Amino acid sequence: MKVIIVGAGPAAAGVALALTSTSNATIQVLDVGGRLEEANDQARARMSKASPEDWAAADLRAVSQTAIVSEHHRIPEKRNFGSDFSFGNFGQLDGLSSEGGVNSRVISGAYGGFSNTWGAQLMVFSDATFDGWPFPRSELEPDYRAILATIPYSGEVDDLAEYFPLWGPADPLPSLSEGPERILRGYERHRLQVRRQGVLLGKARLAFKGRDCVSCGLCMTGCPYSVIYSASQTFDDLVRRRRIDYTGGYLALRLGEEDGRPFVAARSLASGEVEIFRADKVFVACGALGTTRLVAQSLGLWSRRIHMKESAQFLMPMLALRGIKDLSQDGTFTLNQFNIVMPFDESGHDIVQIHGYPFNAAMDEALPSPLTIPVFRGLGTMLLRRLTVGLGYLPSWWSPGFDVSVERPDSDSRLASIALSPSTGDGSQTRRKLRAVTRRLVMVAPSLGVLPVLSQISLSAPAKSYHFGGSFPHSRTPKEGEETDLVGRLYPWRNIHLADASVFPTVPATTFTLSIMANAHRIARSVAKDDRD
Amino acid sequence: MTVTESRRPLIGVTGSSGYLGRTLVAHLRAADLEVVEYRRGVDDEMNPGVARSFDLARPPDADTFQGVTCLVHAAWDLHETDPLRAWERNVEGSKQVIAAAVAAGIERVIFVSSMSAYFGTRQDYGLMKLAVERTVLEMDHVVVRPGLVYGDNPGGMAQTLSKLAGLPVIPIFRGAHLFTLHVDDFVAAVTTLVEAESVPSSVIGLAHDTPTPFREIMLAMASSAGNSKKTLTIPWHVVLGLLRVLERLNVPLPVRSDSLLGLVRSAAIVPGRDVAEYLALSFREFTL
Repeated sequence: MKVIIVGAGPAAAGVALALTSTSNATIQVLDVGGRLEEANDQARARMSKASPEDWAAADLRAVSQTAIVSEHHRIPEKRNFGSDFSFGNFGQLDGLSSEGGVNSRVISGAYGGFSNTWGAQLMVFSDATFDGWPFPRSELEPDYRAILATIPYSGEVDDLAEYFPLWGPADPLPSLSEGPERILRGYERHRLQVRRQGVLLGKARLAFKGRDCVSCGLCMTGCPYSVIYSASQTFDDLVRRRRIDYTGGYLALRLGEEDGRPFVAARSLASGEVEIFRADKVFVACGALGTTRLVAQSLGLWSRRIHMKESAQFLMPMLALRGIKDLSQDGTFTLNQFNIVMPFDESGHDIVQIHGYPFNAAMDEALPSPLTIPVFRGLGTMLLRRLTVGLGYLPSWWSPGFDVSVERPDSDSRLASIALSPSTGDGSQTRRKLRAVTRRLVMVAPSLGVLPVLSQISLSAPAKSYHFGGSFPHSRTPKEGEETDLVGRLYPWRNIHLADASVFPTVPATTFTLSIMANAHRIARSVAKDDRD
Repeated sequence: MTVTESRRPLIGVTGSSGYLGRTLVAHLRAADLEVVEYRRGVDDEMNPGVARSFDLARPPDADTFQGVTCLVHAAWDLHETDPLRAWERNVEGSKQVIAAAVAAGIERVIFVSSMSAYFGTRQDYGLMKLAVERTVLEMDHVVVRPGLVYGDNPGGMAQTLSKLAGLPVIPIFRGAHLFTLHVDDFVAAVTTLVEAESVPSSVIGLAHDTPTPFREIMLAMASSAGNSKKTLTIPWHVVLGLLRVLERLNVPLPVRSDSLLGLVRSAAIVPGRDVAEYLALSFREFTL
């Protein structure tokens, strides 16, 4: 069986892992393949071979640029090794426009996709999440396990396992920072008071090699030692083992089937020529929006308003009653360190999560400008010593989401135009739920020793969470051209499988990259099994 | 959860020195089922096919559950009053028991929870039971929530209420009502769950559908014991506050504030009726 995987992000990695472990398929990966700039990559490579105390100051400066605040978005855009290549336009953002403040840097052309710069959080979806899906979590469990057995995984069994089990052995997390450690100790001391308010806490589960972490504090700007997982690591490994043929520098424009045999029309970024790639099976994993545009362009779904379900993100800064001693990101890891989980029903379907981040350099740079002038610097420092930033998520069924409309391109060698716009709802439910979340947090504040800064709580712009999908959701009885079957096929295709979050029926407030990988793995595993049978 | 027929069923019951565990063991044995009790104070001379040493405060050994095909986990330490220690012993202890049981290949674990464990409960006991329930369900096993278990020579809360019903004036809390369960229905239901070929992983309330007013329960208990039927309705908030103050002063009490909370703020519904009906479990109306 010859297979083409379009894309090289986490969903594509899930497909590749399933196919290479369960079949003898010949696999070609077609990818835009944007890379980190050479100078930054060289600096990163030099740092990876030395211990932090031996790093050259110039290299450290080059790779540790912090997140950038943009005009419309309160949550800054991360930089990776000093570069924006994860978000940058290698051609895949051509023709993309947005209105109403919707985030427009939403399709990655990077080798590894957005997993180059993600928060690295790994949690399985709660069992009850699948109440709205056409299959139960138990069908996905072997795939979750397969992914967790393959990628680096650190975490511990704690109260969060009541909803989010750890499947498979995990590395322990390195020591937490002082602030999060205090919050978790407060939770342990007052567990019943906190739980009585419908709040649970636990440590983060992360896609990184906890044992290899040197606590240099650079997680948020890129780990020089590649301790944090990126899908690119999976592809590097599969290329090295000659299990896949990686073809970078191609932008997929169109998909189709001729006599049941699928093809991908892709433009070479080097020559500008459009080439046709054929296979027995095609897996589409360009990220939910990239895939949505590719499908719409291929099936001529012009001007149709396609709704994207998004787990809306909100910013929840919290101030501790006691400040930390050492205001530095050195000597710790700066990824998400703890999670606040709020179940709103007994089954664990309606869950809100807040990920707690310790101090990192980006917080310093994001201080309001008056607090950075020398006379008020002391006040700024005092606040930073007490600050924990919570990034929260509401499930898609409480979030507004956003809409996508695709227009016919003027040439077959161009991408279709794609316009993103806010959804038409008034957002009252979202605001109501956010108030309910805030109320709970205020109630447990004395126990945890942190108080949410009410005036600074804010919802992020649409598409800013990067947790969106559901444009062509799985269904047992799929509607033609709108829904996919359980292996991601959209009518009339039989051998083209959508494999990323575009097929998610819902997007819960749980971190979702692991579930994207697991579902892609499930789809590819099922297809490979059918092929064997 | 499906119990296969490859092994002769051996039913483990933790907490067999408690009222429910003890009653259940007697019933299962009377039904000619092989039962191993898990409790403290079992010496090495005892037949491990009959009783094995067990302490919720200590992680089970690798061979603790050897040969057991179905485990009914009813052990719970009600003596520990410190919330942190109670959590450590009961919740963390139970999670270890369940994880060890699953690791030992036990095909069905039935966790005996409580009707106090419902989403939104404010009771410590209910919150702790709820935390264990979540772990059981995540592992695809079965939770039962018995209502107020009554019968001849009752134990637990019914025993406490029975004592209160023996007072010259019976305290009544307005608006309080409880789901009730006759002890014979409890053992019959658990026996069915033990023996059923297949039981879906779920929470199954073991109680009659209609809650009984607290007043009615107390009067029936008083009448059954031939006591006075004089009642006094008292505001539960006041009693709760008083109990909490006395607890802070370490005054030994017949009823804890947390138990009172369970009486006056009880569950609104009996969960899992569909599963109960599917398994033909039946629960009689409250009568003494």
